[in-house]
Amino acid sequence: MSQFTQQVILGLLLGGVYVAVALGFSLVWGILNIVNLAHGALVIIGAYITWVLFTRLHIDPFLSLPVDALALFVIGYALQRGVINRVIRAPLLFTFLLTFGINLVIVSLLLLIFTGDFRSVTPAYSGSGLHLGSIVIPYIRLGGLAAALLLAGILWVVLNRTRSGTAILAVGADRDAAQLVGVDLRHMYALTFAIGAAFAGVAGGIISTFQSITPTAGDPYTLQAFVVVILGGLGRVSATVAGGLAFGLIEVLGQSAPGLSSSYANAIAFVVLVVVLVVRPRGLLGRLA
Amino acid sequence: MSLLAIRDVSKRFGGVNALAGVTFEVEQGDILGIIGPNGAGKTTLLNCISGLYRPDAGDIRWETTSIRGLAPYRIARLGIGRTFQIVRPFPSMTVRENTAMGALFGRPGARLQPGAALNEADMVLDVVGLGEKRHYPVLRLTVPDRKRLEVARALAMRPRLLLLDEVMAGLNQVEIEQALEMVRRVRDSGVTIVLIEHVMKVIVGVCRRALVLNFGRTLVEGPPAEVLKDRRVIEAYLGQRYARDQEK
Repeated sequence: MSQFTQQVILGLLLGGVYVAVALGFSLVWGILNIVNLAHGALVIIGAYITWVLFTRLHIDPFLSLPVDALALFVIGYALQRGVINRVIRAPLLFTFLLTFGINLVIVSLLLLIFTGDFRSVTPAYSGSGLHLGSIVIPYIRLGGLAAALLLAGILWVVLNRTRSGTAILAVGADRDAAQLVGVDLRHMYALTFAIGAAFAGVAGGIISTFQSITPTAGDPYTLQAFVVVILGGLGRVSATVAGGLAFGLIEVLGQSAPGLSSSYANAIAFVVLVVVLVVRPRGLLGRLA
Repeated sequence: MSLLAIRDVSKRFGGVNALAGVTFEVEQGDILGIIGPNGAGKTTLLNCISGLYRPDAGDIRWETTSIRGLAPYRIARLGIGRTFQIVRPFPSMTVRENTAMGALFGRPGARLQPGAALNEADMVLDVVGLGEKRHYPVLRLTVPDRKRLEVARALAMRPRLLLLDEVMAGLNQVEIEQALEMVRRVRDSGVTIVLIEHVMKVIVGVCRRALVLNFGRTLVEGPPAEVLKDRRVIEAYLGQRYARDQEK
């Protein structure tokens, strides 16, 4: 029984990481209608920033998360305004192609700067955890989950309680109507993408605490963010949180099921994707399309 | 000096001349009706004024400055509000919240706080006759009410000029009367209006001047009653033979 409880806890903790990764991805997809294939690369930029700050300046990885957010916000704003904005009204395939290309460029730049060596962030507490009877909760994973839920809360407040958030939601609902009531469309596009990138950066910082990073380490996260959004549903912060936690649980419990192992992770993800699309296309909490 | 001056505005889509040199002016306090057969370029003209399209040639002046090619949100903030022929409310919001969007983002000067924007919304909802339905989700509104909401959202921007794109289309006789009443109230509050309409009763009922577009050009301009009797207008709508028979 405690074995099962331990698995559930690990699943939720892993789910927290998926929440962090998927929040920005979901925002950009829902508002801008861009499936951002460079999302994983943005995540890894955040991870490298945390690694540099940790190894050079000995800054705790969790304290470097705001730096990741700020740096990626700036990169995201510039990327949208300068590059992605040119194809914003083009068919989905163009944005696919463009973000795929951006992904390649970022990965190549990271290879040039950091080489392909494995890098890891190992604060003093990285091996220890909270012991509750026979159950162990690793501190770094707990910190990651807490940070992810905090991110979700911040996003909800920004979208639902601020002027800019209202404008972002209006742009997502009807871009022409939004600009005719006075919303500056190009700024809001860039702002939305910047927030998405900032969240990706924070996710990267979290990921760097438990996984060694390489320039290509972000690619699986793009896929997982995609599955999380399908699973949870598009258009709501709560849907992304539900999708992320559920996906974490499914992955951990699936891998520990008899006859399966961690090498089935991607297979499990795709099975989930297909099943959700067949059974409940709008996801767990998604809005009706 | 006129409030809005359209000078020789043209817009092409591929090989089609949607607008082929349209010129007219709108004075402060005027109600100008734009009519014309389907495909005459009426909505294209409104899209050029509100900035959704950039004219290929010609100039659009707002008082003394050219607004040709300005971003739509800048034109909106100058004081030009508009409605769509096909209503486009923000689906997840209530009637009141939808209306407040205009006040929140469309004001030229000070940034309104959300609370103030909602108060403003209540005021204009009374003007268009939606006061009692302010807390409805927009998807529960009937078609005539959605059209009123479009007007309310534009009015919340406190526009000086309001562009109405077929707000009466699809309404029955009683609803048209109510909508006419609403347009008069808006005019009396000091807003200049340019409206596109197919319902001639509306043009005759509220407009001081009418402009007939055909194939992207101005066909006739003048007082509505005279314009509707003009032979060229009858030809454009009903064909040359009908116009000839009428004169016999």
